[in-house]
Amino acid sequence: MRLDRATVATLFASELRTVLRDRRTVIMSIVLPLLIMPLMLYTGRWNEQRRQHKLEETVYTYVVVGAEADAARAAIAAAPPMAAAKGKDKPAAFRFKEVTVGDPAAALTASGIHFYLEAEKGAPAAATAPAAEAKGGAEAGRAGAADKESEQESEQESDERLEKPIAGVTSVTIVFRADRDSSGEGARRMGERLESARRELRIATLHRLGLSVQSDDIAAVAESNAASAAQVTGLQLGRYVTLFLLMFVLSGGAVVATDTLAGEKERGTLETLLTTAVSRREVIVAKHLLILSVALMITVIQVANLLVYIGFRLIPAPANFAAVIPPGRALLLLVLFLPVIALASSVLLLVSGNAKTYKEAQLYFFPVFLLGMLPALAPMLPGIRLRSAIVLVPISNLAVAVKEVLVGVPDWPMIAVAWAVTAGAAFWVGWLAERTLSTERLITASDVSAEEARGGPALFPRRVLRWFAAIWAILFAVALNMGEDADIRAQLAFNLGVLFLGGSLLMIRRYRLDRVQALALRAPRPAVWLAVLVGAPAGALTATGIFVLANLVIPVPRQMIEAFGQALLPDSIPFWQVLALFSIAPGICEEIAFRGVLLHGLRSRFHPAVLALVAGAIFGVFHVTLFRIVPTAFLGVLLAAVVLLTGSIFPAMLWHALNNVLGLLAGHYGWALHDLDAGLYLAATAVLALAFWIIYRNRTPYPGLRPWRR
Amino acid sequence: MTATVVVSGLKKTFFDEGRGEVRAVDGIDFECSQGEIFGLLGANGAGKTTTLRMLATILAPTGGSASVLGHDVAAAPEDVRRSLGFYSATTALYPRLTARETLEFFARINRYPAARVKARTAALIARFGLGDYADARVDKLSTGMKQKVSIARTVAHDPPVLIFDEPTVGLDVLNAIEMQKVIREFRDEGKTIIFSTHIMSEAEKLCDRIAIIHRGTIHACATLAALREATGHRYLEDIFVHYVEQAERAHGGEAA
Repeated sequence: MRLDRATVATLFASELRTVLRDRRTVIMSIVLPLLIMPLMLYTGRWNEQRRQHKLEETVYTYVVVGAEADAARAAIAAAPPMAAAKGKDKPAAFRFKEVTVGDPAAALTASGIHFYLEAEKGAPAAATAPAAEAKGGAEAGRAGAADKESEQESEQESDERLEKPIAGVTSVTIVFRADRDSSGEGARRMGERLESARRELRIATLHRLGLSVQSDDIAAVAESNAASAAQVTGLQLGRYVTLFLLMFVLSGGAVVATDTLAGEKERGTLETLLTTAVSRREVIVAKHLLILSVALMITVIQVANLLVYIGFRLIPAPANFAAVIPPGRALLLLVLFLPVIALASSVLLLVSGNAKTYKEAQLYFFPVFLLGMLPALAPMLPGIRLRSAIVLVPISNLAVAVKEVLVGVPDWPMIAVAWAVTAGAAFWVGWLAERTLSTERLITASDVSAEEARGGPALFPRRVLRWFAAIWAILFAVALNMGEDADIRAQLAFNLGVLFLGGSLLMIRRYRLDRVQALALRAPRPAVWLAVLVGAPAGALTATGIFVLANLVIPVPRQMIEAFGQALLPDSIPFWQVLALFSIAPGICEEIAFRGVLLHGLRSRFHPAVLALVAGAIFGVFHVTLFRIVPTAFLGVLLAAVVLLTGSIFPAMLWHALNNVLGLLAGHYGWALHDLDAGLYLAATAVLALAFWIIYRNRTPYPGLRPWRR
Repeated sequence: MTATVVVSGLKKTFFDEGRGEVRAVDGIDFECSQGEIFGLLGANGAGKTTTLRMLATILAPTGGSASVLGHDVAAAPEDVRRSLGFYSATTALYPRLTARETLEFFARINRYPAARVKARTAALIARFGLGDYADARVDKLSTGMKQKVSIARTVAHDPPVLIFDEPTVGLDVLNAIEMQKVIREFRDEGKTIIFSTHIMSEAEKLCDRIAIIHRGTIHACATLAALREATGHRYLEDIFVHYVEQAERAHGGEAA
């Protein structure tokens, strides 16, 4: 399809002109946010200052009750006054006032007092204040919450300084209400005051006993942070920066995106445009550029806006902000963010292209906005690294990459992969958007194709990839949520039995597929079995060789492989069970899914050679652990080729099972298949080629394929 | 005279969840030549618009073929669209562009030689009497002015073939007559014009040849004089009813 630069430029310029002339758009997307932001910040700050001021001004009234009330009063009086203003910018004296009421609990509930103190001689440990025990022990000694709701709040205030009451020693409980600002603040200050009084008392006691101790000597705990301050800020920033960027891009881009395709459809200008000499691709490229540049423009304005507020100290700047983002790094971030912005623009364009009206597009926007933000949350996952399956998830991968760059540990080969994946996704979604311009539902009432109307087997080729995408998503989600110590057997049973086998049977049922055709249930020629016996081990060794080669490009830590082996070979399961579970079951279930329904669904969509590669790659992607993708994809290609050549799934089942048995035996007996002589890998490759030659000579081709030659 | 537009065995089948398979256009053939107004006359839903949209490559044919100046609609859609101007009641203008910007835009994207775009735009503005309003935004113009801009944008790139799909729908009498006048002028300039309508008097006055289309099939295609001779009727209305009734009888017989 034609892509003429001058035409794209004309389209783009005209679109941009139209957008800028739309006063409503400009006001809603640029001017309003610029005005609302400072207003929100000012109001927020003003509120906070007032609240602080009020807390400082308040005279905190309290009551002291209990047998040891006088001891508590003495402690309060003895406390150094400095302690009251500890941690404050301006050392304003904190005002407390003791009052007397009949029922302190009722007075507290009725807001008559801010808090009250219960001072008792500590009971023997076993019988310690039941009220304190009821609160899970976290609050013992302090903060007897007045009611249930406040417990949660008060737990946040839990402090390790606080001890359980000791028998025979005076213990003071501060009872307050965490649902009231002033009560909580007063109780906190009183707690600090009593605490410092206690410290003084302890030192004085030690002195009296003839020990010379300074308060600092009692327990000196220091923390030393090995990361630089910039790295710490980088981590904080890296967790959120992609999320904020996406928020700006999606909300800014949506303003033009809804208008540009859905709006044009509604106004009838799209039909005019489509009857001109421009190609669909030129239209999409121009519109994509438009969304991208408007989104970028709005993002830049918003970020500049934010920076201005940081400059005016309306927003506290992250420490070492300047050190984290020097100009060079800012440029790198922009390069990393480009595919993210491009993908967001493509998605917006696709949504707009699928909507018939402006209103419909707006309706879609909110869920797309929320779902679009989801992948940007990836850097908040604890311990997430780019060198994992996350590298294959568009947006998430670059979000994690950005975090790693900001922390100062960039993983360049992985970043390149992440960039390519997200950029590829942007192109793919853009291509889908282009197709929405060709679909006839744009201009006709009918929006179902012949296949969709008929359903059944004819529709399956168009649906098969969606099914596998859904299965992959479930598999990935389950793998993420499965704990380290989850039973591998349960996980395997779920993946193989429910997802692969169950999913396949569901597809067969849903699309009324012929079982023999869909699963290639045919007998191969006898010689093929011999080839499989030779080919499976040779293929496994060749795959190992490929893995060793791939390792040169993207090195995999050895402990990762060992940990994986460990997971597969837990000591708790007898080896024969492992063999059955990891070779026979995958041999059947995975074959039915990948070399059965998947291959059947895709058979007429690609040239047979491409088909084997695509089916193999999909199989690889299903092995969530990153380092397994390349070797399993290779195995997937081999197995797909075997099925396509023999027209039968059975040799592939045997091949798959044998392949897994070999791997398990190697793991069990500690064969170092990864450290063999290069010559052996080459020999294995030759044997593999021989096996395929035998299969080729005895081929009974798979029905319904595209012709090998045109 | 050589044919500029050739349509042969053209088919379009839709699938509709309610009605199932709908054969909107069911194998039609016709040819048009330079300097001719070719009329597609049919009731609503007869297949006129679907045919013209296939010619304009917005819809892909299910079967058969069509070509414009030798460019096949399936193989070279962009060349086809470059050779024609498409006007219909539903092809709207960009409301926030001015008339001048609109004409320049459509000339450029239809790949009119860049150096001559300005001159072409100026000529069109003069021809359609848009001078006073050329720099006003389209959404500020009156219906009549919008119609003129719309016609001017259809011929912005001076295409040899023009398609008018029910161009007078929704126009008042004066504007409709203005439209007919312009179409005749284009014909006299040597353009090929395909014109669809369900208004008999319009077809009678304007068309050099008329194709009567019903249920996706062309039942007659000739000059008005030849149609009169073949049916023995004087008025186009009677001629049209004659062919439609004939078609319905055949359809009924087929169904029974």
